[in-house]
Amino acid sequence: MNKDTTLDTLGQSCPMPIVMMARKVKEMKSGQVLEILSDDIGAKDDMPAWCSRTGNQLIGTEQEGKIFKFYVKIK
Amino acid sequence: MTEKMCIVVSEGSFDKAMMPLMLGTTGASMGMEVHVFYTFFGLKLMKKGNKPKLPGMMSLFTGMIRKKMVKNKIPLPEEMMKTALDLGVNFYACSTSMTIMGVTEADLQKGVKVLGASAFLNMAADAKVNLFI
Repeated sequence: MNKDTTLDTLGQSCPMPIVMMARKVKEMKSGQVLEILSDDIGAKDDMPAWCSRTGNQLIGTEQEGKIFKFYVKIK
Repeated sequence: MTEKMCIVVSEGSFDKAMMPLMLGTTGASMGMEVHVFYTFFGLKLMKKGNKPKLPGMMSLFTGMIRKKMVKNKIPLPEEMMKTALDLGVNFYACSTSMTIMGVTEADLQKGVKVLGASAFLNMAADAKVNLFI
């Protein structure tokens, strides 16, 4: 999937992936795509929840073993 | 309108220190306006240099849980507090609890405001999420 930036949150537990993502998103421009790597099981539901709350668009989710990749299009 | 989350913290143990900080930083990261009100034994969490311990007999294992948290990259309460303030989470010390516990404004950590119950309830009345810890 096309992306502009990657945020590596591997090894981080809830709520840090969300906190890190919220900070990263503030630095990005509208329409850009952020890839987030996470191995926190909670992230699977946290990321869609965060996106629906904040109005950013989750355009894709991939899983490779224990690692989740989320693709968020900045609003 | 920005959604509001209000949390009351009534106890001062290590676990009670962590919960509002985790939920508060998450809420702020989700774009919510977060207000955390520390009352009674919770108040000591807002004092300068406070090092909370696990409750009761478990207090002996506080060091162990802190080590485990560091190992698992989970921020400790003191680090989490900084992150929360940075994200705009509002921290309040209950004014009456301050009188009861003999805590003055000078004893409070930087960024903590003093608040009365009706001012807090005024915010809680239109908050979508109200939690008691």
